[in-house]
Amino acid sequence: MRFLDTLRFRIATLFHRSRMNAEMEEELRSHIQHRADDLERSGVPRAQAERRARIEFGGVVRYKEEAREAAGGALIESLLQDLRFALRQMRRSPGFAVTAVLILTLGIAANVIVFGVVQGLVLRQLDLPHADRVMTLQPKEGGPFLSYPEVRDVRDQNSVFSAIAAFEVQDFGLEANGVTRPVWGCEVSGQYSEVVGIKPFLGRLLQRSDDDHPGASDAAVLSWSAWNSDFGADPNIVGKAVRIDKHPYTIVGVTPEGFYGTEKIGVSDICVPMANEASLDGVNWLDSRNYRNLFAVVRLKDGVTLPQVQAELDTISGRIARQYPKEEESLALKVARPGLIGDFIGGPVRGFLAGVMALAGIVLLAACANIGSLFAARTADRTREIAIRIAIGSSRWRILRQIVVEALVISTIGGACACGLAWMALTGLAGWQPPSRFNFKFQVLPEPSLILIAFLISVLAGVLFGVMPLRQIFNTDPNDAIKGGGSQFSAGRRWALRDVLLAAQIALCCVTVTAAFVSLRGLGKALTMDLGFNPKDALRATFDLNQAGYTADAATDHFQRQMLERVSQIPGVEAAGYANTTPLAFDAGVAAVFSEQTADFRHSNSAFDTYYYDVSPGYLTAAGTPLLEGRDVSFSDTAKTPPVAIVNQEFARRLFHSEHAVGRYFKNRSGASIQVVGIMVDGKHFTLSEDPQAAAFFPISQKGDTKTALIVRTQRDTADMVAAIRKVVSDLDRAIPIRELGPWNNQLALNLFPSQVATVALGLFGAFGLLLSIAGTFGLASYTVSKRLRELSIRVALGAQAKQILSAALGRMLILLGTGSVIGIVLGAAATRLLSVIVYQASAHDPFVLGAVALTTVLTGSLSVAGPVSRVVHADPATLLREQ
Amino acid sequence: MADQAQLLPGTLDLLILRAVSLGPLHGYGILLRIGQISGNALLIEQGALYPGLFRLVRQGLLKATWGTSENNRRAKFYELTAAGRKRLRVETDNWNRLAVAIGAALTAKPEEV
Repeated sequence: MRFLDTLRFRIATLFHRSRMNAEMEEELRSHIQHRADDLERSGVPRAQAERRARIEFGGVVRYKEEAREAAGGALIESLLQDLRFALRQMRRSPGFAVTAVLILTLGIAANVIVFGVVQGLVLRQLDLPHADRVMTLQPKEGGPFLSYPEVRDVRDQNSVFSAIAAFEVQDFGLEANGVTRPVWGCEVSGQYSEVVGIKPFLGRLLQRSDDDHPGASDAAVLSWSAWNSDFGADPNIVGKAVRIDKHPYTIVGVTPEGFYGTEKIGVSDICVPMANEASLDGVNWLDSRNYRNLFAVVRLKDGVTLPQVQAELDTISGRIARQYPKEEESLALKVARPGLIGDFIGGPVRGFLAGVMALAGIVLLAACANIGSLFAARTADRTREIAIRIAIGSSRWRILRQIVVEALVISTIGGACACGLAWMALTGLAGWQPPSRFNFKFQVLPEPSLILIAFLISVLAGVLFGVMPLRQIFNTDPNDAIKGGGSQFSAGRRWALRDVLLAAQIALCCVTVTAAFVSLRGLGKALTMDLGFNPKDALRATFDLNQAGYTADAATDHFQRQMLERVSQIPGVEAAGYANTTPLAFDAGVAAVFSEQTADFRHSNSAFDTYYYDVSPGYLTAAGTPLLEGRDVSFSDTAKTPPVAIVNQEFARRLFHSEHAVGRYFKNRSGASIQVVGIMVDGKHFTLSEDPQAAAFFPISQKGDTKTALIVRTQRDTADMVAAIRKVVSDLDRAIPIRELGPWNNQLALNLFPSQVATVALGLFGAFGLLLSIAGTFGLASYTVSKRLRELSIRVALGAQAKQILSAALGRMLILLGTGSVIGIVLGAAATRLLSVIVYQASAHDPFVLGAVALTTVLTGSLSVAGPVSRVVHADPATLLREQ
Repeated sequence: MADQAQLLPGTLDLLILRAVSLGPLHGYGILLRIGQISGNALLIEQGALYPGLFRLVRQGLLKATWGTSENNRRAKFYELTAAGRKRLRVETDNWNRLAVAIGAALTAKPEEV
């Protein structure tokens, strides 16, 4: 016996992780032996004495547990035990574990990804020194743009900014080492380097003196990435001569790695002083108050508060408005959070992300509810096991802790998987270029703090669903549970927590499904909507002749007309025309329109603002924009003939209250009378979700522009045609860098981008929500059925009809499904109002959407109860009753 | 057995301290000593001793060393530390005050009120 004890002790020391455990075992055993010795001395046979000593000692397991806890440090030990137990449990029911982990992975990943994007685009400060002092300066109303004189006035009159700078993103032809490349450049005003506050990586940055007057400096600063990719990270770059749009510049410095300017979505390759803009842009706008094309950023002085800034801005803009009533009448300025062009796209982006974040939260809640009810069901299945453990002296707390540990293990594994998934998704997103000619770059690189977030979310999730079976455990009466075989599941049971959970979960899932359908429907409409032109079977090429040294006046006669003639002669070309830009390209001009009677041309006297384009003859045909009345523009409309325009229906309706306006006149800001010679259809000009906008087309031969967008309508193979067009352009002038050339449809991708992003995001959430509600409904239905199979089969044996059985077994499920769905659809409809900013014509009042959501819900519901239903109907009472 | 009193919560620690104050003892020995000094009037389930012992060791009131018992078995012997001795004094005073007060309250006669 002694030998065996010693052996057991040795084995215990070998196998138990802590020495303390083994010592405790030995101590308790020693106690029992001492007691047995005493009993033996009083005449009891040894074997019997030992047995009695053991009984007298009481619940060894319980005292050991209590002693371990009393000794402290036991928590970790017993947690380790719980952990091992949890892993064993998971191995025993891998189906449950895999489902739970999968659901959680998706739920947590959705949240981590969304949070990553929110962190990158909204929460994270710009990567600049004292970034909290950097703000965007923008008009209170309307677009984000300011004119240079406005920025200059604020610069000279304010006392709250330590620096203020304007910048404009511009495409440049950068000529270095004998090659011309189209690059994105940035024209910045003198204090830009002070606003961003960075130190150069090489050389120097632009200074105030560089921007003193036009031609003050030929300095240019390269971005770190352009220095790397285009100049092979040449360490002797400073001092190197390059040419930008044929003008000589000298590289004076390189910005540090990780500097992307003040916007989180774009990167420019080279910075030049704004003072030189006339030579680069072909238009001198430095003194024009009507030419609003600049973004402005400011750095607040230390200690200055936002209210002080606003007060000062109000004073300054009031003063400017009084000084220049004609141009600046409605000027009102504010500062906004930087990074997303102030509130211009920042507002919608933040709104949309908040919405998506809420959806992600809903999905996570639904996932937790789902797993929670799975856990509750499983705990109910384990009632007997739990009862036995309570009976042999295990404390309820201990059992509860075990279940929570199990939940935490599952959620931690889910969190780890989710983290990996999110990391991959965000890395992909950061490296991905949206379909656009602009140099977009999403700075959503996954950061280590995401791991923390994922961990927090998974712990939260674990606790959330882990505590759901709590009541069950505390109410377990060992006697009942063991006697009843764990199937005390009465027919008329009260509504349980899991019923509410299921209904809530279905409601939440319905919200995501509704949102998904609404945005899908919106995208569908956007794809088939009437744009006012037909991008199908059309190619579009864009370039700026300014980059090859042409002036606006010479562009038409010296290049564009020849190009148009030659392109029209390419076999297979049905129509061709060009314009300074095309609708939905984000760079159309906006001008005030005045009625013919107007004499005072201040902005408040204008009738409305219109988009305007300069187009060549044939452009309308090539673009597929129907001319409803009147004539097309012609090359015989020149600067010497009276100004004319083609306007759209909206324009005519607004100004003349009639769509038959050919022959009538309107005036522009400079007071010139312009005759309407044609009426064209309405279309989309800036975004797909906009209301009808006024638009006017002027003959490009009357004004001239170096910016060229060539439209060629053809049925021929795209590749052949692209090559032919490229050849025409380079035959005419080799120095012209073509920025875009390809199917027009592809170039419109950016316009569809927001609704596509919304649709993909919401579609994923919708699908996931659907998956969850199927899993939840199926789980609870089969659980209900299996618990009551015995009772139901007795009913069948007694002659109940299938219908009665079904309503007994699943009637409650159907009520839950119905209630949940209705609540969900109502909530979803309310939530989709938020969507209408992003998605074209997003509306939940669309019968198609409502029908689709309802149908989906019914289908999912039936699908998920189909299995359990057939199990009930086909159950053989005889077999069942025998088995149980 | 029937006339043994249930232990008041919290008094076991005091009893252990007192038992050990008379000389180092192993667990079973402590139980025997408590029985001996209390005239076997208290009902203590044997296992219940150990959580108390471990707690007192953790609080630094007892220290434990392995040794050999009078039965020639390996056993863990407990003895008081300085803190334990001090605690025993304080607790004993507390107990005496409490006992006197409760005793007085329970024996108060109507005419004394």
